[in-house]
Amino acid sequence: MAQCVQFVEEFVQDSFVPMVAVLCSEEAERATRKNNLNFTELLRPFCRLTSEGHIRDPNNQLQVVKNLRICVNNVMTNPNTASAALSPAQRRLLNEVVLSCQPQEGAVTNVITAGDYNLNFNATTPWFKAYRENFLQTMPASDHEFLNHYLACLLVVSSTEAVPVEQFLKLSQEQHRIQHSGEYTNPKWFIPNTLKYYVLLHDMSEGDEQRADVLYEDMKQRYGAQGCYLLKINSRASSTAEDEQIPDPWSQYLHRNNLQNQVSTVASSTCDGVSNSLESHPLQLDEGKSTAGGAGSHGVCLTLNDHDHIRQFIQEFTFRGLLPHIEKNIRQLNDQLVSRKGLSRSLFTATKKWFGGGKGPEKSVHEPKSTCGLLYPPEAPELQIRKMADLCFLVQHYELAYSCYHTAKKDFLSDQAMLYAAGALEMAAVSAFLHAGAARSYPAHYMDTAIQTYRDVCKNMVLAERCTLLSAEILKSQGKYSEAATLLIKMTSEDSDLRSALLLEQAAHCFINMRNPMVRKFAFHMILAGHRFSKAGQRRHALRCYCQAMQVYKERGWALAEDHINFTIGRQSFTLRQPENAVLAFKQILTNDSRQMATQQAAFLREYLYVYKSVMGEKEASLPMLPLPCIHSSATRVYFGHERRLAEGEKQAATHVSLDQDYDQDLAAMWCHLEEQLVASANRGTVPVNFQQTQCCLNSQTDNLRHPLAVVEEPMIVELTFRNPLKVSLALSNLSLLWRFTPDAASPSKEKMPEEFMGETITNEETLARLRLLPHRTGQLNIVGVVYNLAEASSGETAPSQQTANLMVVRGKQDLMIQGPRLNQTKEDKMLVRHGPDRRLDPIITPNMPLMEVFFLHFPTALLCGEIRKAYVEFCNVSSVALSGLRVASTHPDFFTFGSQATTPVTPLSPTSAKNCSAYKTLATVNQPGSVAFEVLVSAEDFSQLSTVVEIPIEGNVLEPGESTQLPLWLRGPDQEGVHEINFLFYYESVEKGTKISHRVLRHTVFICASRSLSVQASASRSSVPPHHCQDDKGCSGTLVVIDVENINTSESGVREFHIVQVSSSSQHWQLHKCINPARDKDCKLTSRERAKLCFRAKRCKPHQVTSGGMEKYTFADLNLGHERIVSSSTPCGDFFFHCCRTTESQRADVESSRTSSSSKSQDPSEDKASDLNNIVKKCNELDLNIIVIWKAFVVEDNKQLILEGQLHVALQTIGKEATSLTPKEEAQEMVLLKFKSEQPPPVVVPSAELSQLIKTNLHYPETYTHPFVQNSLCLVPVTLTLSNCSPAHVDIIVDLRHKSTSPESLEVHNSFNWVGQTQYKLQLRPEEVLCLTLQACFIQAGVYNLNTPRVFAKPAEQGTMCETSQQTSSPALIIINNA
Amino acid sequence: MAVCIAVIAKENYPLYIRSVPTQNKLKFHYTVHTSLDVVEEKVSTVGKSLGDQRELYLGLLYPTEDYKVYGYVTNSKVKFVIVVDSSNTSLRDNEIRSMFRKLHNSFTDVMCNPFHNPGDPIQSKAFDGIVSGMMVQTG
Repeated sequence: MAQCVQFVEEFVQDSFVPMVAVLCSEEAERATRKNNLNFTELLRPFCRLTSEGHIRDPNNQLQVVKNLRICVNNVMTNPNTASAALSPAQRRLLNEVVLSCQPQEGAVTNVITAGDYNLNFNATTPWFKAYRENFLQTMPASDHEFLNHYLACLLVVSSTEAVPVEQFLKLSQEQHRIQHSGEYTNPKWFIPNTLKYYVLLHDMSEGDEQRADVLYEDMKQRYGAQGCYLLKINSRASSTAEDEQIPDPWSQYLHRNNLQNQVSTVASSTCDGVSNSLESHPLQLDEGKSTAGGAGSHGVCLTLNDHDHIRQFIQEFTFRGLLPHIEKNIRQLNDQLVSRKGLSRSLFTATKKWFGGGKGPEKSVHEPKSTCGLLYPPEAPELQIRKMADLCFLVQHYELAYSCYHTAKKDFLSDQAMLYAAGALEMAAVSAFLHAGAARSYPAHYMDTAIQTYRDVCKNMVLAERCTLLSAEILKSQGKYSEAATLLIKMTSEDSDLRSALLLEQAAHCFINMRNPMVRKFAFHMILAGHRFSKAGQRRHALRCYCQAMQVYKERGWALAEDHINFTIGRQSFTLRQPENAVLAFKQILTNDSRQMATQQAAFLREYLYVYKSVMGEKEASLPMLPLPCIHSSATRVYFGHERRLAEGEKQAATHVSLDQDYDQDLAAMWCHLEEQLVASANRGTVPVNFQQTQCCLNSQTDNLRHPLAVVEEPMIVELTFRNPLKVSLALSNLSLLWRFTPDAASPSKEKMPEEFMGETITNEETLARLRLLPHRTGQLNIVGVVYNLAEASSGETAPSQQTANLMVVRGKQDLMIQGPRLNQTKEDKMLVRHGPDRRLDPIITPNMPLMEVFFLHFPTALLCGEIRKAYVEFCNVSSVALSGLRVASTHPDFFTFGSQATTPVTPLSPTSAKNCSAYKTLATVNQPGSVAFEVLVSAEDFSQLSTVVEIPIEGNVLEPGESTQLPLWLRGPDQEGVHEINFLFYYESVEKGTKISHRVLRHTVFICASRSLSVQASASRSSVPPHHCQDDKGCSGTLVVIDVENINTSESGVREFHIVQVSSSSQHWQLHKCINPARDKDCKLTSRERAKLCFRAKRCKPHQVTSGGMEKYTFADLNLGHERIVSSSTPCGDFFFHCCRTTESQRADVESSRTSSSSKSQDPSEDKASDLNNIVKKCNELDLNIIVIWKAFVVEDNKQLILEGQLHVALQTIGKEATSLTPKEEAQEMVLLKFKSEQPPPVVVPSAELSQLIKTNLHYPETYTHPFVQNSLCLVPVTLTLSNCSPAHVDIIVDLRHKSTSPESLEVHNSFNWVGQTQYKLQLRPEEVLCLTLQACFIQAGVYNLNTPRVFAKPAEQGTMCETSQQTSSPALIIINNA
Repeated sequence: MAVCIAVIAKENYPLYIRSVPTQNKLKFHYTVHTSLDVVEEKVSTVGKSLGDQRELYLGLLYPTEDYKVYGYVTNSKVKFVIVVDSSNTSLRDNEIRSMFRKLHNSFTDVMCNPFHNPGDPIQSKAFDGIVSGMMVQTG
């Protein structure tokens, strides 16, 4: 509407047009009725004059009347007086008008870009135009102005009438009666002497044309040529109508009228019900219903000539009749006014005051003064001015009109006649506006005052509204949008919602049309308008307003407002039967993370569910998408396989994988590594290229690029994560998965299809739902979505909620689309956002595969360090396919053993009977314990399965369907205390080859809590006994082994005491030989924090044993301290021993390799020599004796005494070095500082400590020696120095007897005696040679002397002198010299 | 005294809106949102004439029947809006000014928080406290 600025003048002008009444005879009415029109309707399209008229003003100036429009109406004797408000019928009419005028679908819309807003809205508001037009037309005539009073009356009589003149007379009298009898207050007449214009209507198709002409001549005689007209119509028979296409100018006028008609008839019949029921409306047609029928058939009997006739008639009437009439009246009024001007105004008013009454204005009787002020009688002189002004205005003499209005205004104001004054002000402003070319600017304040007066003083909203409409239009035409908007907004009030809505909408348009568009104000006022529209029952308009406002609020963070608008749109759409839109709008509210209150959200939800349900009620076919709750699709997890039973009786099932476990990257890598090892061992050491980790549980972190493989008849479980964004809880029920299945062509077709499993859950914040799917056929499955019932969860009561829940449950679906990880490989990937596929939900169903279950019996959870326990493991094939190739891999292969076939003791296989049996194989011994060791020679091959993968020895290596087998399993508590996580991975494959799934695995994780038991420390030292003293031993290899055992168990209540039952040794070269300590017949018993020292002698194995048995023969020597001998060389003792060796070896190898790798860079010749030397030295000191300490622990548990057994291993590597069963606590690795300089290669250090053990020295001498110093002052004592070569190489030795010491105290001592004779020897010793040197010591005094002063330097032969090393001096060798 | 205090981001979405709990929140949201038009208008007119030396306080944006709306724009185009009850006539322009200054200081503190992500809704307790202080000061 804002676009029609150029038409504002026309609009304002057309708002006030001369009114012409029509009185029609029945015959005439009948003639027009043929065209489906009555007389006024017939004239209506031609009421605008195309030619210019002229009029002379009182000063005889010629005034041009352009583009004049007259308004022709039937005379309606309506009893209604002008009131301050619209009648209900009028309101209803306006409502209907607005309702019927809706924007067309896809109508032209304006796009306005303001800032970052792009708004789409209707550029034109035809409903408002229609409203305005109708409003102005239905304005009731009021007394204070004359603009819509009738100026003239057309008296229409048909020529077919018997005596038309009589008829004219009758009509004339009728008119007179209406105007002057005082019966009717409506219609109002402008001037007492109304212009009567006589029209003779001639129907060409019926009457005699000549007669009509005659009659017309007669009329001319009677009424004058200017006062009558012969109108010829209906020149065409209605039957020929079809041939010609004649424009139908009526349709645009009458369509609206029809509607008005219906409305008013309905309205009046319901409301009024009195005599004037059909005449409640001034615009109403006489016979509404007759016109209502043929909408398209107006004027069928009229030719284009007839149209011209009518047009001519109107022109003739206006120019000949109406305008002269007006001119005459203006002149008359002017004369009257001029004659009155003689009287002084003050006197005039004074007279009024003095005499009161008479001509003076009367106080209103009916209306209180406050509303309208005074009421003038119709003939009051003030009104004459007004009348003249109105006349001038109607004939477009705006200048004169303005001055008259201005004068009138002053008069009225001085009389405090507010209503009149306001009217004059309004018209003064309008005429000032219309007076083009006037110097005067538009007096906007006149309008403001007028509006204010109308509204506040007179309480006449109708007039105020009219004034506002005019003023706003004028302001807009001048670009004063802001002022116009203010005016419009001010006019909104409580009394009329429709008006408020329309005006608010216009105000909103004003805001958007401003130079700087005020988008937000536009939106806000649109919302207000929408609100009022909805209150006025104009739902469609309300919806439109809200939708337009939504554009501003949408997605800009104004959540509260957005929700409100969405909610309203939803409601309106629903009531307008656009449930799809409603659902959309409600969806918006619920999808957005709203900050609404819980109650509000609950309301939204209820509404949504209700609307949704009603939509669903209409169409059943496809389930629509539900917005709630959110599915966290990437968190979806898929699990393939049966849900595991955790325990069955006392059997404990393998833990395998379950959905309850969280995914752990490290663990997954570990399992993958284990599986790789297994597959490698199954494929002879190589991992096939197409190896793929078996993934039972898929989640967002697993590799989902390939289609997962599922097995027929094995269920898969899909876990969905629902998140409820609302503050109210939702109830989901009857969940099921939606899937698509493409059967395999090759697969044997079975009839059954996958079935769904229903779950039920209530979500509050984040909830998981697990849905199960059981495939019955092979093929490709795609899980596409989830279907569920959504309802509002009513907290608290449950039973009554069932009733309401039934009403509010809706069924819908949501798609499951999992986006894969973002790709980041190629350049394009990096530049764009691309996602890889995620095939978690697209499994391939493969034919049957074997399925194994593993159970454990008597599996402990807590063990002492080194404790040996026997458990059983059961393998069950629960599928219909045989399995083979059973293997297990573990992270702790030293934790368990299945035993070795060769040495497995004959223990009862059934676990129940073996309950209290010792895990060890024992033999009773008769001879005294501890004296001499039993020796067994065992090959390591019998035990060793060197990798972490262990093949499980089941019979025939095949487990038939349904079969199960039980195996014993020995466990040994880890050496380190604490909780250990031990993972087993069982591997098996189908006996059939070439299946899609090459193998299957089963995981098991146990947690073992290891508590401290014993700490064993052992050290070996060369026995200082000279070799020839020990008879059994050949050579110098007698070694003492001291074992220090401490009970470090801290739980005093649990473990009562430890008994050391047996000490065994195992080595390739050495063996324990004899027990020295403890006392022979006693067990070594240790209670808490006690310590014991055991001492043994070890010897080299017999050489033939070493050589004959091949490389890896181990000698096991058992020294039992009790009465039972435990065969350490058999299962499980031997197994665990080898496990232990292997781990320590591998550890050592690791360390070594790392060391060599680090030192390998600095290679120089001296290094070579040194390493050579080292080898010799090492050989010399090597012991390589492994000691197994077997113990029994007496434990009280639940008032029962238990005997636990265990073994600890100590590996003695070198003589003199202490070894311990406890692995030393690893020092926290020091942070290595980054160094940028290359490090100096460390200087080659000859390991002097080790070199110093090349030679063992013994001094033999008498302990006491008595010498008579009196007789002989020199005492000579023979001393034998025994040198034994421990190394397997030639050694050069230098023995230096000279005292060579710097310390003063030793100096003192050394001064006391001297070696005599040869004091320096140079010798060479062959490997393992023993040499005795006889020395002589010379004493000069009695006393105690330390003889151990000889320094022995040794170096391996053929080595540089620099590595000559002083040999270790043993403890002081004291000699007592007595004076005899 | 204030019935509603709002902080609006440069891009015209709300960073913080708090109103007295007794009244309809939605209404204040609408009021504040609509006031942005006036703020923009004022900023654009003032900006031209004074250049950099723009005063941050915009004064009364517009009066409605029940409320008076005051505006303040920081140099980074963050808008503060304070809605005051119309019946509260004792409030001087100076007091409104000082309220805005306080608000601005507190807002600056919030922005200085290294853990605050500029552009996120303000959830600072200290800021909340300041705002509550302004809302209850005289009732």
